[in-house]
Amino acid sequence: MALPLPLGLTHSEVAFLAEMELVTVVPRQRLESIDLLSGKTPPLRPPHRTDLPLWLALLLKKQRRANIVPPPWMHPASLADIVHRETKVHPQAFSEPMPTASRARQSEPGYAGRIGGSGDNNSGEVILSPPFQSNCTSAAPAGYLPYHWLEVAEALVTHASDDLGGNTSEIRGLLRDLVEVRAAKMRDSAETLGAEGQGGVVSLRGVGAMELAENRGFVLGVVDGVRKIGGAVETARREREEEMDLGGGEGGRGGYGGDGDSDDDMGI
Amino acid sequence: MDIDDILREVDPTFHAVPQEKRNLQELTRAWIAERSAPELLPWPADGLFERVNDSIKRQIEKVEEMTGDMDPKTNFALIVIQTELERFKYLVRSYLRARISKIDRHTLHYLSTDALRSRLSEMELAYATRHQALLHNHYLSSFLSSFPSALQNLNDSAGINMVETPDLESAVFIRLLKDTLVEGRGVDSDGAMDGRESDIVILRWADAKSLVENGSAELV
Repeated sequence: MALPLPLGLTHSEVAFLAEMELVTVVPRQRLESIDLLSGKTPPLRPPHRTDLPLWLALLLKKQRRANIVPPPWMHPASLADIVHRETKVHPQAFSEPMPTASRARQSEPGYAGRIGGSGDNNSGEVILSPPFQSNCTSAAPAGYLPYHWLEVAEALVTHASDDLGGNTSEIRGLLRDLVEVRAAKMRDSAETLGAEGQGGVVSLRGVGAMELAENRGFVLGVVDGVRKIGGAVETARREREEEMDLGGGEGGRGGYGGDGDSDDDMGI
Repeated sequence: MDIDDILREVDPTFHAVPQEKRNLQELTRAWIAERSAPELLPWPADGLFERVNDSIKRQIEKVEEMTGDMDPKTNFALIVIQTELERFKYLVRSYLRARISKIDRHTLHYLSTDALRSRLSEMELAYATRHQALLHNHYLSSFLSSFPSALQNLNDSAGINMVETPDLESAVFIRLLKDTLVEGRGVDSDGAMDGRESDIVILRWADAKSLVENGSAELV
């Protein structure tokens, strides 16, 4: 086997991704800029704050060359606020993901992120997505969970607990609450997965990467299982609709069934 | 130089994402997509992997030069460089392995039409063709040659098609990169939803594909 892993990212792959999140560090030693494949690192000049990828920040932390500034959303007040929202305000849905639009970045003055989501940026501009959105730096807003919240928080609690302002046990407790509340929501979402009237599209807005990895097998298994059990029903329904379409003129709806085929023929 | 180029030069967002970071973002996205999609995705046409491979090669040469230098200051930089190098190599390796495992599983399918063949890179095409030829020869010499010639085909499509194809209807998770309409097909009904940016949506790959291809969504 070239790759003995199931489809979809596994836990360790998700953790690997989360290590690319930028975090803010306060260097304790000078370090010249290093020419990395992902670009030059900013030169470290204590006590100026700098944003570095998590893997590098952890390396510096282990060697006592830097302290990590925990992101604002990891503050106990922010976490408590999120727990409150997850349990009391919106007991059904995950809390809102971190906003991406028009958020000014300290490291890049004058650059305010992408404005709006529907802008015409097909001109070769890459849309950044987690873990490259600076959601875990000290400039990120409080009160939202970033996509890699659990992995980053876990890494900081484990390896940089002395940088959390003495709140480690409180943060740990709140994180555990969040994990439990959100895991229950994930399980409940299984009810809507195969339910009637969903139309084959289910949104899990606000879900985290690790939660997806955890439940990927289960959730996709349910969706695929329902599809296979209902395969005959679905085919019959489609045929019926096609007949109705043909009866009602030129078959204006075009039929969704044709979509998949024409994609294959596009020759990309 | 026309007006667009001039506008682009003064646009702060154009230079906001440096090339190296774009490469990493695209490489990561391609890796996640290939690890999650039920079928083989097209080989990136914009030379992404050539760029990444070149920079990895240059970085390795730099590491070799630096290892001669035993100054403790550069020593730490060397550790950082090597750590990052390993991370890049892991991404590339895992991406290629994910592709090869898909090619292995459905070799005949990906070799069957020109459209499908064009998804493979040159090396992958050579690999798939030779692999299939070896396999066919092996089957032929071990048992296939004793069958009647009408039954010797491995890609007979009369009746049940012998060529296995990936299940394009299996469900995937995508993240929307823009506000867009998401259409899906379900067992009882077909549906659509006004998706917002950063929505995570479960739907069938066949429905998600066009969104992913035009850049409105990415697999997660």
